[in-house]
Amino acid sequence: MTRPDAAVRLRRLLTVIPWIVDHQGSRLDDLAARFGITVGELERDLELVPFCGLPPYTPDRLIDCEIVDGRVFLRFAEYFGRPVRLTPTEGFALLAAGQALLAVPGADEQGSLASALGKLAGVLGGGDGMAVELGPARYLEPLRAAAAASERVEIDYYTFGRDELTTRRIDPRAVFAAAGQWYVDAFCHRADDDRLFRVDRVRGVRPTGEHFDAPAAAPGVSSGGIFNPRPSDRRVTLLLDADAAWVPESYPVESVEAQPDGRLRVVLVASERAWLERLLLRLGPSAEILDPAEVRAEAVEAARRLLTRYG
Amino acid sequence: MTKASTIGSVADRLERLTNLIAVLLETGRPLRLEEIVERVPGYPAERDSYRRQFERDKATLREIGVPISLEALYAFDQETGYRIHREDYELPALDLTDDERVALHLAVTAVRLEGGAGESAGGAGREALLKLGGIEGAAAPTLAALPDVPALPALFDAYRRRARVTFTYRGGPRRLDPYGILFRNGHWYVVGNDGDREAIRAFRADRIESGIEPGQGGAFDRPDGFDPASALRDEPWRFGDEEPVEALVLVSPAQAGWVEADLGGQAVAERRDDGSVVVRMAVTNREAFRSFVLGLLDHAEVLAPPELRADMVAWLSALAAPAGARPAGTAAPS
Repeated sequence: MTRPDAAVRLRRLLTVIPWIVDHQGSRLDDLAARFGITVGELERDLELVPFCGLPPYTPDRLIDCEIVDGRVFLRFAEYFGRPVRLTPTEGFALLAAGQALLAVPGADEQGSLASALGKLAGVLGGGDGMAVELGPARYLEPLRAAAAASERVEIDYYTFGRDELTTRRIDPRAVFAAAGQWYVDAFCHRADDDRLFRVDRVRGVRPTGEHFDAPAAAPGVSSGGIFNPRPSDRRVTLLLDADAAWVPESYPVESVEAQPDGRLRVVLVASERAWLERLLLRLGPSAEILDPAEVRAEAVEAARRLLTRYG
Repeated sequence: MTKASTIGSVADRLERLTNLIAVLLETGRPLRLEEIVERVPGYPAERDSYRRQFERDKATLREIGVPISLEALYAFDQETGYRIHREDYELPALDLTDDERVALHLAVTAVRLEGGAGESAGGAGREALLKLGGIEGAAAPTLAALPDVPALPALFDAYRRRARVTFTYRGGPRRLDPYGILFRNGHWYVVGNDGDREAIRAFRADRIESGIEPGQGGAFDRPDGFDPASALRDEPWRFGDEEPVEALVLVSPAQAGWVEADLGGQAVAERRDDGSVVVRMAVTNREAFRSFVLGLLDHAEVLAPPELRADMVAWLSALAAPAGARPAGTAAPS
């Protein structure tokens, strides 16, 4: 365990003192809960306060801190009557979180969050030039309602990687937004395993009238876990021209190497065939397929298949 | 240094920093370093030592957002001193209600900023909340994760102060009046007037290759009612400067519902009995249009105009040529 350093404790002190100045007689345990620290930490911080003040540091120039029956009183601390301004990092983090929650379909645009953000924007400046879009969410509300009530549902789901539409019964445990999309974390009865579904690929939701046992703890949310390549996934090596340099920025790649001729040699993880077909059809002559050889044949086959529509 | 003196020194340092802030806030004029050391107990006696100690203290205050300004002592004076202006230091009154604090607490717990450098922004949201009066109400389970990008706080600060920023993007210098900040498709964008092109441009914050150099605040006015979401169009085939053309695309039943939801109902030109639809698309970027249609694989066909249909056939025919038509090792024609 590391002891909190002076910066952490100073930040805390400059935050707690103004609140006590405004709320004389606050209880130690209420204060500790409000500021997310233990009573012991709060007491240690307050022990220092009587040594702080202004020259010549005579009793009338030092902050007077009294704790009576677990209640805190401060005098001569007027110059610490207001908290320190928000740093840009703090202001951004608070507004971003607020705007994101307000962007969830069903959020109350006239509610407390909206009015709090309005006051904050007024103080920080900037107005309404900040917007957060969490992703397309046509079936978000029925899925969130089902997850909240532990209701099994039947969904029509488009599997992008295999270009197929399936119907499956799922137990939705949690719904969350990450990496620009909404996801449903669920147990899928068709796969008989846990699956992550993208809400924008859900094409229908129907109730089943059945319930499932709610998970003990909500699963963690992390955009890092959304795409986890399996060792068995196919690796495809491409040589990309400069105009295809966006590929490694947008797709999971295992390696990127610049070539002497300016092209990029990338190794992609391609778990599904339709996904790879789309990419190769879009890239066209900007990508040369180095390995494996069968992928070259697959790209030709895909182009021929699409051409039959234009016969 | 012994352990005991290390522990003791944290309390001593905390005391000194608190007194330093009080003295600099209450002074009527900038104070010379020598005056500060005289007034604030706990600095070493020797000049080099107290100078070093003061530099460390200044860095700590900067880290927690306390603004110390360095100013001339008197008009036309070469000598400089330090003070903290109350209006730079104090958080203006927000008069948040308890319900509003509960709502903000839900927001900073439900939405996580992740992956940022240094101090975590999730932590920063919580720190902000403490300054606004502490934690009220229950925490929410995580509902959304947004990426944190090192450039964002500086871009946000410039946006809110209306300061022009300069930075490096795709190898070149850019000057931008930031009108807004937008999170879309999983990425943060700064949107504003590009000072060299005199046009609205959007830049992905995570692709900025340098630090953000902000200019003076109040340097520009944001257009009334500026909305970053509508300024950054999300239909890439409309994001081009080619001669506009209206395309008709036939979409199979399997993808018809999704395409209609994506383009909007007004894009549907025809509904066929088998469930397929014909959609209308205004195209000014043929490459982006081709990518959109190819993304639908066998489920889409360009019907009109003839030139776009011919483009698609030519593109696919080139790919359908026998493998190896483009010998390995040759560069693509530019």
